[in-house]
Amino acid sequence: MTAAIAHRQLTAESAGEIESVRIFSAFTITATFWLLLTTAVGLLLSFKFTYPDLGAYQMLSFGRLRAIHTNGTFYGWASVALTGLAFYVAARSSGVQLQQRRLAWAALWCYNIAAVAGTITLDLGISNGSQEYREWVWPVAFIFLLAVVLSGIVVVATVMARAGHDIYISNWYTIGAFIFTTILGITAAIPVYQFGLGQVAVQGFYMHNAVGMWFTFLALGMTYYALPKLLNRPIYSYALGVLGFWTNLVFYPIIGAHHYEFSPLPWWFQTLAIVFSVGMLVPVWAGSGNFFLTMKGRWAIIRRSYALPFFFVGILYYFVGSTQGTLEAFRSLQAIWHLTNFTVGHSHLTMYGFITFVTWGGIYGLLPMATGKRPNVLLVGLHFWLAFLGVTIYVIVLSVAGTIQGLTWANGDPFIASVEAAAPFWSARAVSGTMMLLAHVIFAINVWKMTAGPVEPEPVR
Amino acid sequence: MSERKGMDHVGVLVFSAAGIYAALAIFMGVIPGTVLSKSPALAGVVPLTEAQARGRAVYVGEGCSYCHTQFVRPLAQDHVWGRASVAGDYTYSTPELLGTERTGPDLSNIGARQPSEVWHSIHLYQPRSLVTGSIMPAYSWLFELKDKADPGDVVVNVPPAYAPPGKVVVASRREQDLVAYLISLKQAPLPSPSPAP
Repeated sequence: MTAAIAHRQLTAESAGEIESVRIFSAFTITATFWLLLTTAVGLLLSFKFTYPDLGAYQMLSFGRLRAIHTNGTFYGWASVALTGLAFYVAARSSGVQLQQRRLAWAALWCYNIAAVAGTITLDLGISNGSQEYREWVWPVAFIFLLAVVLSGIVVVATVMARAGHDIYISNWYTIGAFIFTTILGITAAIPVYQFGLGQVAVQGFYMHNAVGMWFTFLALGMTYYALPKLLNRPIYSYALGVLGFWTNLVFYPIIGAHHYEFSPLPWWFQTLAIVFSVGMLVPVWAGSGNFFLTMKGRWAIIRRSYALPFFFVGILYYFVGSTQGTLEAFRSLQAIWHLTNFTVGHSHLTMYGFITFVTWGGIYGLLPMATGKRPNVLLVGLHFWLAFLGVTIYVIVLSVAGTIQGLTWANGDPFIASVEAAAPFWSARAVSGTMMLLAHVIFAINVWKMTAGPVEPEPVR
Repeated sequence: MSERKGMDHVGVLVFSAAGIYAALAIFMGVIPGTVLSKSPALAGVVPLTEAQARGRAVYVGEGCSYCHTQFVRPLAQDHVWGRASVAGDYTYSTPELLGTERTGPDLSNIGARQPSEVWHSIHLYQPRSLVTGSIMPAYSWLFELKDKADPGDVVVNVPPAYAPPGKVVVASRREQDLVAYLISLKQAPLPSPSPAP
């Protein structure tokens, strides 16, 4: 009798386990689809800088595709991949199965329906007015928000069912991310109080918080689990993680106006944003320092791992990109760099160098643990070097191009001089973009190997 | 679960994080948004006509503001684009089109700098026919190519090197609206000397 019950429980448990693995795999696979599609779009865009008459069709035009590239990478790729990882981390760090799995599937559908609808509407020219990262019209934005709310319920329910006493720090960050993004999304998507310059203020708040309160929190939360796990040692300092959580939460929402320096937004409002941009050094250095100190002395392990080199680059570029963000906020530098390609370089340093690299690290590190299927080592290496060199070249050439653009303007040259001066750098950017897209194709092959692909025998050691 | 206290209780974590962030969202998003939405119009800043408003919608749909800003900074290098923008310039500008990139010129005052409809139409059809080195897309889909113009058609006389052989280029309704909007972009004069920021 008791044996029968135990057997039934075991079966239910393993069924739940299998479903959890399928959820993790499905999130990763659909996210990878969006990564491929939207970076192919990005590559086409980069070629248009050198060949402006390439693909001269309305639905392939720069103004239509740019928002598809940015929103697709943000909300199709990074959001979906990081949510899948957040589920896995919540369950593992809580010592229980993923709870509310039906809601997890519903969230996956909502994310993908929003990404499909957002991509189609943007290509038809239906947009929320070129306001970066909230171009999706409000009905689409609300489908995405529903996915965020459902995902948040899954993580909270899983953490509430935890076996131990403490809520592991990863789950602070991820639960925070789902809550903040729900509040942020509602604030941004409701149109009734935003007109003219008021909408500019909301846009500054929104665009920085979408990055900072969503992707940064999800990525840091996952890293706080995966890094100690892969290194097989505890995180250097739990307290630094807690400090990072609260300072991120308080400082980040105040710095949005630094996207509109020298605009007609109230001067004090811009100054406040600059002051807190300096304050951002506290959570950035606390977080990246904590991770580096956890990795210290384990270079032999890092070199041999599939996943840890991605974390190393991700954390390095978190440190570099965010510190750069603080410097960019100073008015003296902003006067030169603002409105130039320097900003585009910065956003790739952070969203790609940091967020995407850490996400890859998480997928290579944790997905094989879930599915028992490993990626191809040679392909992982190729992926790493193409993506690492690709983004590094990308950021360097656009930073130089942006600086030159800003200096030609400051010099009072005719405007077209800034276009001509940047042209060779735009060609180099297209080359680096090609490397990045190649890296993503290789990553997609590895995702297939880690999920749907055949089980391969253990390698002979 | 009941013995769990402080931050190890999920409810406490959820509500404290939500409370702090909601307060910050109100102070940094909702209140500035609401207050600045009521910025009174500068004298001379008027609502768009119907055609201009339709043209603005074309501007939004084609994503023009990814490369063209509509705000002039109080910096020496921006004087070429006009006077520094002020809050009263934007009373009727929803969705806002300030932009964050200047791959092309600022357009706050383009209607004053380039008031010619003909110039704008040729430029939209093929920017490189007027500006060598321009990387702006050619918005050919805003035009119709016809064997010969019908009465009432707005014919665009594209320079021969860029004209489609044997065809005339006719501006669509949308194109005419867009040009009407671009020409409406003229900075109103400030009532008194601009306050130094």
